[in-house]
Parts: sequence; C-alpha cells; structure tokens
Amino acid sequence: MIRNTRMKRFSIVSAVATVGALVFSTLPAQAATPGVSAKEIKLGYSGPLTGSAGLVYGKLPGAMKAYFDHINANGGVYGRKIKLVSRDDKYLPTLAATQTTNLVLNDKVFALVGALGTATHSKAYTAAQLAKNNVPDLFVNTGFSGFANKAKYPTTFTILPSYAMEAKIMAKFIKDTPTLAPQASFLIAQDDEFGVDGVNGFALAGHKFTAAPTLYPQGALTPALAEGALTKLSAVPGKPVLVLFGTTDSTATILKAAEKLSLTTKFNWIAGSVGGDANTLLALGVKPSTINGALAASFFPDAKDATDPYVSEFMKINSKYNKGVSFDNVVLQGMNSAMLTVQALRAAGKNLTRAGLISAIESKGADFASAGLVPLNYSGTSRVGYNGYWFGQLNEKGELKPFGGKLTVYTTDSSSNSAPTASSYERKPVPKNGVPTNS
Amino acid sequence: MVKISTNRKRTLAFVLLGWVLLIISDRVGELRQYQGSFVAMYALAIASIILLTGYSGQLSLGHSALMAVGAYAGALSINNLKLHPALALIVAALIAGIFGLLLGFTVARLSGPYLAGTTLALAVSLPTVANQFPILGGEQGIIFDIGTPPSRFGEDFSQYKWFFWISALAALITIWMLSNLLASRYGRVFRALRDNSVAAQLSGINVGRLKAIAFSISSGIAGLAGGLLVMLISGVSPSAFPLSLSFALLTGAVVTGVYNLKGVMLGGLVLVAIPEIAESVVSRIGGSEGFTTTLPGFMVSALLILAVLFTPNGPGQLLHHHKKKH
Repeated sequence: MIRNTRMKRFSIVSAVATVGALVFSTLPAQAATPGVSAKEIKLGYSGPLTGSAGLVYGKLPGAMKAYFDHINANGGVYGRKIKLVSRDDKYLPTLAATQTTNLVLNDKVFALVGALGTATHSKAYTAAQLAKNNVPDLFVNTGFSGFANKAKYPTTFTILPSYAMEAKIMAKFIKDTPTLAPQASFLIAQDDEFGVDGVNGFALAGHKFTAAPTLYPQGALTPALAEGALTKLSAVPGKPVLVLFGTTDSTATILKAAEKLSLTTKFNWIAGSVGGDANTLLALGVKPSTINGALAASFFPDAKDATDPYVSEFMKINSKYNKGVSFDNVVLQGMNSAMLTVQALRAAGKNLTRAGLISAIESKGADFASAGLVPLNYSGTSRVGYNGYWFGQLNEKGELKPFGGKLTVYTTDSSSNSAPTASSYERKPVPKNGVPTNS
Repeated sequence: MVKISTNRKRTLAFVLLGWVLLIISDRVGELRQYQGSFVAMYALAIASIILLTGYSGQLSLGHSALMAVGAYAGALSINNLKLHPALALIVAALIAGIFGLLLGFTVARLSGPYLAGTTLALAVSLPTVANQFPILGGEQGIIFDIGTPPSRFGEDFSQYKWFFWISALAALITIWMLSNLLASRYGRVFRALRDNSVAAQLSGINVGRLKAIAFSISSGIAGLAGGLLVMLISGVSPSAFPLSLSFALLTGAVVTGVYNLKGVMLGGLVLVAIPEIAESVVSRIGGSEGFTTTLPGFMVSALLILAVLFTPNGPGQLLHHHKKKH
C-alpha cells in the first residue's frame, strides 16, 4: 500500500513536471525590457546635484520628479507609474560615467532623461554603453551639436537648440538692431564645445568681432580674470556690445565684476540662453539694476510670466509636488522635459520597448505639446529639439520681455551659412490639467 | 623540505591573486566588473602615493595632475601615433615618469609643506595649462578608445570584463614590481630618506637624486593609473582630474596604511564602495537628497579617524602583528 502511494506521488509529480516542461518549452522566449513592468516605468537622471553646477542645475531632477508625480496621481502612462532615479555626478566626467553605468546596470532603468553637460555626458554615453544596449537618452540638456550625430549617438535626443544656432541668431539680431549694429562687439565665451560651437556659429553668420574672443576654461572664470577682461574693454569708445557665452555662474561673475568697476552701463550686454537666467543671476548676487536692460536669448516663455498657460500649469504642479522650491527657468525646463517624456512614452504605445520609444520620438516628436515658443525639430534624421530663439530684454524684476514689445521667433540650422528666418510657429495648447493624452 | 625564497613567495602570491581575480571576473556581473576596474586603478594610484609618502617621505597634494600627464600621453599615443592601447598605457607611464623625474629634480630641495604646495599648484593649474594647447582638446578633452575586446574571447565577453582584465593585470604587474623594488636596496634607501635624510646623506646616499628617482617612479605609476582611468571613462579632459581626486587618493593611502603596500586593494575598494554603501544606507533608512549627497563624505571622514586611531599603519600591518603573536 505504502509502495503504491509512493508510486502514485512519483507518477503525479513526474507528469506535472513533464507537462510543465512541455508548456514552458513551447512558450516563445521573451526578454523583458529592463525598467518596465506592468506597474512601473523606471527612468534615470545623472547630473550635478551638488557643487557649483549643482547650485544652478540641482533643481532639474526635482522638477521632473514633481511632474511625474503629477502624472502618477492622474493614472500614470497607460496605468504604469513613472519612477525617476537621480544620481549626482557633481559635473565631473568620471562620476558621470560611473553614475550613468550604475543607472543602466544597477538601477536597470528603461531610459535616461534630461542628462546635463557636454563634457560629462559624452563620456557617460560611451562608458555606460547606451548605444550598444539601445538605451533611449532623452532630452539631453546641451546644445552641443555633436550629439546630433546619429551614427555616434544613435539613441540620443537633445532638447536645447544648438549653440551654433543661437550664435547665428544673435549675429542676426545685432545686425538688425540699429542701436547695436554700429557699436564695436566682443565675445567672452567658455572654452569648451559650448563656447567653440558659439564661435563657429558667429563665423557661419559672417559676424566679425572687434577683437578675438576671450575664452576661459569652464568653471575657471575668477572675479580677477573677469575684472581684467572688462578693464581692457572699458577703453573702447561708445557702448560696445558684449556677448557672454557661458554658464549662469560665469555670467554672474562677469556682471558682478562690472558692478565693482562701475561698468554696468558701459556695455550693451547680451547673454546666451544658458547663462541668461535672470532668477539665477539675482540669486547669485547680481544687482537687479545691473540686469535691467540686458538682452537675452530664449526659446521658452519667461518663467515669471504667470499668464503663459504652460508656465501657469507648471507653477501649479510645482507648488503641489515640489514644495518650497521656487519656480524658475530650470524648473520650467525640467517640467517641460518631463512632459515631453510622458508624451514620448504614450506615443510608443502600451507595449513599451526601447526601440519603440526611439521610433515614436522620430515619427511623432515634432508634434508633441511643449512650452517652447519655437518648433521642435525631431524626425527620422534630426535628433535636435528646438531650432530657434527669440530675443528679449530683462527688467529689474528679472522678467524677460520681447525686445521692442513684439515677440519675433527666428529659426535656423547649425551648419549652413544661411541667414536665420522669422518663424510663424504657433505652439500647441497646454494639455488639460497638464496631463497629455496623445497616442 | 624545500625552502622557498621570499621573492618567490611574493611572485606566487601575485600569480595566485591573479587567478582568483580571473575566476571572480567570470562569476560577477558587468557592474561589479566595471567597479573592479576602478578598484584596480585606484589601488595603483594609491600605491604611487605610498611609495612617495610612506617610503621616501615626500608629500604630494597634486597627484591627480601626474595622472593627467599620463592620461593625455596615452590618449595622444592612440589618436595621433596610432599606437596599440597596451603600448599607449606603457607610454602613459613612461611620459609621466619622465615628467616626474624633471619635476623631482626641480623640487628636490623642497620638502614638507613646500613640496606639497608645489604639487598642489600643479593640480590647480592643470585646466588652464590643458586649455593652452589645442591638441589636448580644451575642456571637452580627447577620446581614449581602446576598442572592443578581441573576437577570440567570444561574443559574450563584455567590454567591462575587458576593462577589468586590463586594469587588474596592469595593477598586479606594477604592484608586484614595486613590491620587489621596495624589498631591495632601493626600498631601504627610500626608508632611510624618510626617517632621517641627514643621516642618510652622511651614509653616502645622494638624497636629491634618490628623491627625484622616487618621485619619478611614483609619477610613472600615477600616469599609468591615469591612463587606466580615462580608458574606463573613454576620454580625457581636465575635469576628469579634479583636486578632489588627489585628496581622495591620500584618503585611500591613509586608510590603507601609508607605510605599507599590502592593503592598497582595500584603499581602492574603500574609494569605490563608500558611495555605494552610502546609497544603500539611505535607501534602507530613508532620507533627503541632501543626506544622500553628504553621507559619503561623512563616512570617509569617520573611516579616516578610525584608521588613524586603530590601524595607523594599515590593516596589512595589523595582520602582520597578528601572525607574529601566534
């Protein structure tokens, strides 16, 4: 009897095991997409959270997370909640490489979003083998035109217009503005791909500065260097045009040097979009009277303009999910990137894959709703986001108002010497409650 | 009973360690292989500090600059001279060694805070110097690409395992050579310089020449570590060698025991593992972003204090004492 029972058990277990093996062997092998489950999509961010760059850009992941929290509270993306894992690279290439590799191999994120910095991210891209693993590298915050090289960075989509585009549009603006065109013009730029891209853009536009550009290594512009450069230029007659093509902390160093030397009204200041964030300049100690009247390029609405529907919607989200953090250009940029990410995830469909996401941005990305006042340029051949700028004048409150009272948007490219053209682009309305419903 | 000489024992130990590392590289995932490569690279850099400070009594606060010299030399050898990556790493060590020799002779009369200040100035001026020469690629830097692993290792052989093999092999061979050197007459002379340079001079030792030689060897090893570092991040730029790297290496050397080469791997492990441990602590107990970013610094500081209090000569020395007692 005992023997029979044992035999029965053995037979049943054998049968179950055989059937199980047969069933499993007939199932198609399915490799799960990393970072995606039925309930969650895991995204990764690597950028400066601490250090001098962290002071300016540290708000970026918090702003993205706040927007994702808002989306999660409204049902997520096809039922999946978005989780953002942030890692601090302190704006150092070695840390950017290791942190991005950690995001891919350890945190197993589905895609990267909003990475910041040219020197850092170019190394991180190779070290983390994003191309080999086909990891989508979304809305990178750099205007370095090298990232547009699809062969080298096949999974990258940048969001900022290239610095070369910005320089070309600045050159046109100087040429077309009667108060600026006759003045001597000078350029103080960061000596990296950022600044060099800008120098190339001015050359493409045929703009000739009165003297060779003053270049300084990133993060190495000291008050003494800035004072030296300004003292040299103060002897130039008239009211020279001084273009500042660097990060916001460098712009602040130069403007504070001008305050010390009482040269704030000596120049027509033009700050690039990266270094012209008025809120950050004021937070870094630049006097309101100094920025009053300075010219700055932008592709976004003014972050202080609560009448703008996108700004207004993002401000609401910020006050609810990002408590205690003041709303500025960096927060606007972070939330806008997050909104684009959500639209990209929706466009990729319910069966989310890395290849599907890349293909969705290529085919539908140009039509995504966005806070930008200039067109998005994504396509099968273009990985660059915005492709234009408008010019404004800052007031003492740090508000950027359209120059001459009329908003004029210019669009151009990074490589030809064709002149920028005025664009009639009208952006899409902000999605209801800030929650995209595209497919 | 066959007697084995100390040198042979040391060689056997290194071969055995090599085998163990080879087996480990097959058993762990890609992330651990990548982290292991960094451990080996840091171990090498720490060994260069131990030789300089622990053995020859010279203090460098700017070793990251010497690593950068090697890194740029290696990258230029690959990009401009089209050298094989293995040769490029040797060139990295040689050029940094020659640079160190010249610097060593220049600063041979300096010691203590003056030497530290000179090397510190070198590290601080690195970004400006690098930006003066267009061939060095400015702030963006230049590529350091060693290419994919040889196809004979098979398709499954990952880039990270390749990095690990190269870094571990370079570290093992160099530290083995350094151990032999320190066990030789030169090791004794270096220690004599450190303990009493006047007495050493009275004994007929050319203090200036020997200090320069120690500086040169240390620079060469740092240059090799620099070459490995930029191999791991696929490019060299001034910001890859911040001043904080020099201080991190000194920290690793103190934790290792600055008078002892035995624990260099531990020093490398500490530098790689601390941020990971901090992150895992924060994820377990929760905490703000500020807590996450400040915890690694706090842990390193605590470890430094503990190391100075309990194992001033490093855990290697501690093991040695333990063996003697039994």
